[in-house]
Amino acid sequence: MIKYKNLVKSFGTRTVLKGIDLHIKAGEIVFILGTSGTGKSVLLKNTVGLLRPDSGEIWIDGENVSGYSEEQFLSIRKKCGMVFQHPALFDSLTIYENIAYGLRKHFSMAENEIERRVEQALSLVNLDNILSKRPGEISYGMQKRVSLARTVVLQPKVLLFDEPTTGLDPVTTNSINTLIQSLSRKLNTTSMVVSHDMQCALKIADHIVVLDQGQVVDQGTPKQLLESEVPLVRDFLEEARNQ
Amino acid sequence: MTTKQLIQNPFAFIGVLLIHTCRDARAFLTLVVQTLFQLVTHLPRKKETIQQLYFVANGSLWTIIFCVCFAAVVTMLESSFHMKLVIQNDSMVPGFASLLILRELGAIVTALLLTSRIGAGMAAEIGSMKVTEQIDALKMLGINPIRFLIVPRLIASTIGCVLLSIIANLVCIFAAMIVADQFLGYSNGMFLTAMRRFVDFQDIIFASIKAFCFGFVIPLVSCYFGFNCRTGADGVGRATTQSVVFASVAIIVLDFVLSYTFSYFY
Ligand SMILES: Nc1ncnc2c1ncn2[C@@H]1O[C@H](COP(=O)(O)OP(=O)(O)OP(=O)(O)O)[C@@H](O)[C@H]1O
Ligand SMILES: [Mg+2]
Repeated sequence: MIKYKNLVKSFGTRTVLKGIDLHIKAGEIVFILGTSGTGKSVLLKNTVGLLRPDSGEIWIDGENVSGYSEEQFLSIRKKCGMVFQHPALFDSLTIYENIAYGLRKHFSMAENEIERRVEQALSLVNLDNILSKRPGEISYGMQKRVSLARTVVLQPKVLLFDEPTTGLDPVTTNSINTLIQSLSRKLNTTSMVVSHDMQCALKIADHIVVLDQGQVVDQGTPKQLLESEVPLVRDFLEEARNQ
Repeated sequence: MTTKQLIQNPFAFIGVLLIHTCRDARAFLTLVVQTLFQLVTHLPRKKETIQQLYFVANGSLWTIIFCVCFAAVVTMLESSFHMKLVIQNDSMVPGFASLLILRELGAIVTALLLTSRIGAGMAAEIGSMKVTEQIDALKMLGINPIRFLIVPRLIASTIGCVLLSIIANLVCIFAAMIVADQFLGYSNGMFLTAMRRFVDFQDIIFASIKAFCFGFVIPLVSCYFGFNCRTGADGVGRATTQSVVFASVAIIVLDFVLSYTFSYFY
């Protein structure tokens, strides 16, 4: 489904991604783990053309998107939804409008159908009664969940999550992990989840990738990773065990 | 190259500076062209444009009126004082002052005040949208951020600047008239007669053209710095400061260029 071939990305003199090779199969849940600043967010943003790689190739659904223009990326962005690390809600719109915006933009839908979908998406992330509020009036954790609902409501084939559960309580974290899992099982959505949480990666991932300093240091199924000899992976496992 | 190498080698320093300037200028011009393209190919978002116009006009009006009144008082009193000192006669003051107000003061004071208020506001707003990934989120929904964010601000600022500068000119002339009457002993009738001898209708047109250009430049500069805001805590602050500095300099330079061009028509 998504393939990265020797992906390199620098900012000025600093090389953030130093030749990433990855293959993500359709319908899989892939967790990307790594310490802060290794370029996980940069990897996701390159995938949907919000940043452009310096060299290397990105293949999505059999298309090489590396040289795509902004217009050509529009169809890719319809296919791939992204949940950002920040809630990134539009401050000037209500929660309802925030979630409905994409539906209005991409589908010609009746208003009551939009309403139904918005409410359904919000209930998926355990929220209700906030439709007419503005992003500034709800808590950070709620904003993060609304941002998740905004992306999920469009039912894209590929979902990119940038730390979807960071800063959330354990109960909500659990329900979001369940949501990711059920989307993948029911709708066969491919998910890439950037996370620091090895414990939940071991629980729900089909494949785990560990990045360090812009390179893949280890990858495999949760089972394979438990046997890993790579120090960073061992640190992550140790941390997960202590929780 | 490292900073140390650059300091030791002035040629390298100038070279690097030149390269950076050219790159920034190109990026800015690209943004201007893209904005103009969006402006002519798509209808603007009405609600947002009206909101922005309200933001431009409402908060700035009283500040501008307050400042131009003082500018008028200072212009009148200072020029009268010096004229009397040199040629023992200040009869030219009303005419000269009204010319100065219409050709320069009204538009430039308005523009500089707008820069510090709405220019800074726009840079900070767009910069924080950039830092909190809202601009990326717009792109993900297939929305063109230039059309969505810059075009409404551009229209609002241009219309707002022209309207405000007309008001500023009227208020400024009015304040000058009062000063002439109260302190210099020229009645309102004398002031208006003097003004009519010095000022043409085209001066008013040129003043509006200036205001139009200034109002056009402010949001472009501010949005450019907002869009290129660096991440991190100091990013937004830096973008805001830079946008105010650059827009102010741009307005002063543009004022010179326009005044020079208009001088061919007098
Ligand atoms: N637009 C940009 N311009 C310049 N540098 C950038 C930009 N985006 C990211 N970087 C740099 O790239 C590096 C990797 O950033 P990235 O956001 O991908 O880290 P991350 O792995 O997501 O970390 P975290 O877990 O903290 O989110 C950072 O050092 C950052 O400073
Ligand atoms: Mg990140």
